Amino acid sequence: MKLWQKIFLSSLSLIIIVVNVLSVILVNNSHRLLLEREQTHSINEYEFFAASLSNSVVYERLKAEKIMLNTDEVNSIILKVIQERSQSNSGMAVYDKDKNMVGSGSLNLISELPAYTSYIQNINVSDNNYSLNVFEAETKHIITVCSSLKLEGNEYMVITASDISDIYQLKDEQTEFVRKISIASAGIISLILLISVIFLLRPLSRINIYTKAIAHGNYNIRVKCNGSQEFKELSENMNSMADSIESNAARLEKIAEDRQTFIANLAHEMKTPLTSILGFADLLKIKKNVTEKERSEYAGVIVEETKRLRSLSGKLMELITIGSTDIDKKAVSLQKMIDETGSALTPLLNKSSVSLLCHTETITILADEELFKSLLYNLIENAVKASAKGQQIILDTTICDGNVIISIKDNGIGMKNDDVKKVFEPFYMVDKSRSRKAGGAGIGLALCSKIATLHHAQLSIDSKLGEGTTVYITISGDECV
Amino acid sequence: MINILIIEDDKNIAKMIKATLSIVDYNGFCCYTGKDGVAEALNKSYDLILLDIMLPEMNGFQVMEAIRNCGTPVIFLTAMQDVADKVKGLRLGAEDYIVKPFEALELLARIDVVLRRTHKTKDVIEYCEIVADIDKHIITKDNSPIQLTPKEFDVLVYFLQHQDIAVSRECLLSNIWGYEFEGESRTVDIHVQQVRRKVGLQNRLITIPKLGYRLESQEKE
Repeated sequence: MKLWQKIFLSSLSLIIIVVNVLSVILVNNSHRLLLEREQTHSINEYEFFAASLSNSVVYERLKAEKIMLNTDEVNSIILKVIQERSQSNSGMAVYDKDKNMVGSGSLNLISELPAYTSYIQNINVSDNNYSLNVFEAETKHIITVCSSLKLEGNEYMVITASDISDIYQLKDEQTEFVRKISIASAGIISLILLISVIFLLRPLSRINIYTKAIAHGNYNIRVKCNGSQEFKELSENMNSMADSIESNAARLEKIAEDRQTFIANLAHEMKTPLTSILGFADLLKIKKNVTEKERSEYAGVIVEETKRLRSLSGKLMELITIGSTDIDKKAVSLQKMIDETGSALTPLLNKSSVSLLCHTETITILADEELFKSLLYNLIENAVKASAKGQQIILDTTICDGNVIISIKDNGIGMKNDDVKKVFEPFYMVDKSRSRKAGGAGIGLALCSKIATLHHAQLSIDSKLGEGTTVYITISGDECV
Repeated sequence: MINILIIEDDKNIAKMIKATLSIVDYNGFCCYTGKDGVAEALNKSYDLILLDIMLPEMNGFQVMEAIRNCGTPVIFLTAMQDVADKVKGLRLGAEDYIVKPFEALELLARIDVVLRRTHKTKDVIEYCEIVADIDKHIITKDNSPIQLTPKEFDVLVYFLQHQDIAVSRECLLSNIWGYEFEGESRTVDIHVQQVRRKVGLQNRLITIPKLGYRLESQEKE
């Protein structure tokens, strides 16, 4: 069952029940009040009748100048009184103490009822004690008042009856009226309720449509809702959920894409040297006459490409290990690390006839010594590769706003702006053939940026094509000792 | 003489392909960028183009689109093994697709297939006094025909096409029988002996221990 149906049906039935119960209570209450009035009225009537009986008896006794009237005389007086009053609306009956009827008038409506007879047989009333009862006869309701009366020493049972059908009729009419009204009002209420429930819940179905769209991968959809407060909140929350889903999906897509590119590049970088190695080795194997010149050329290529593979696998291992292990930060002297890196680079510097000039200050930073040296080594190595014979590389350290900035400047070939943006991507090479000749695989800077991130340092590159490149390592003051 | 254009950015691979082509006397010309390759392919007439996909600036697919109108058959060379890439290459009109790394003989075999399909190879091969007419399936020695079974004929033609190359039994099996004939390299030996005996190549079709066979070229005799 849908929510709107539930809300509609439950409120409708509640309203109908409450309205009906209230009207029934009202009707019954007014009926009860009327009945009470009728009861008082009939008691008065009874008392009037009883009084006239006693008065008549007293009058007759005085008239006959007797001390006591006998039973027959009393009975005849009773009959007389009854006869006198028989024109009035109410009926009456008098019984002696053995419950034999002395006389009755206008009682024909109820006197034949079995309920009445059994009532008379079983009743036991004492003085000043009224027994009230309502009998139903055909379409009429008769109220009876019964009590005992002492006349000339004898006990009599006197009953008066009056017709109170009109109040029962009134009750029936009111009940019928209430029923009609409740049916009509139920119709109207249900219509109003239906419209308001549907109107109030309409934003929910809209939110539902949007949610479905989002669930089907349409992450850029946003819920627009101008319903009540709760719906606004719900739609805002849905929107923030969609925001985070969208950004997460985009992030995951980016990661997957990066990984795909990384693997494709890795496959390419591994297969290129393998192709040369396999090809030349195969040539050496199947060719009949290989001249000395060819042999040394082929073998030279094989050695060169094998070295390239070795460097690639080394760098790759480094990249993978850095990503997966915690680094061991200690307070180390920057000067010491730069000196050691410089001496490790001496053979390469000599081979390329490039000089390295270091200006360092005594600064101690928190760093993993091996990793940080590897960062410096890679950056200086890149500078050497970019430089021509006889050029100079300048390494400088400055302190600026509490941050330590290490700059490595060369006057080499430089890069275009587009290339600068991409150099940190794994396997990106500005000039493939040149880079490969120098034994590069395009992983160095990706490695550097990872090391820098681990040290909360920033790498930035300033480069002009043909004029040279400067790399800045900015170490935040928090990492300094 | 068959002229083949090699468009490959890695100089060592280009050099290796050129050396491989030279052993079957094909001329290889190297271009190291897509742009140079397109210019070269459009300017001169080549029998075949070997095209790398990962090229700087202009990739292989773009090169392919630029040169597809000149009608030269193209074989793609690439490190990528993606099926989608293969399909893309073949859709663009490439004749074949070689995944790096590859062996020299595989490259030559694929080149042969493409050249034969485009009728660039010689239909008649002359070797000393032997003449093999591939289309007509006839071998003549000193103008008298020699009876050979179809497989023996294929073996002989394969050796004639790959003179001076050491051919392994496995290579013969996969190129002539077309499947891996595991443990049955005796079949190859029997066929080679039959060819030697029938055509009289005892001194020229020599056995190389642990490797296979080689047909010595006639100049070296």
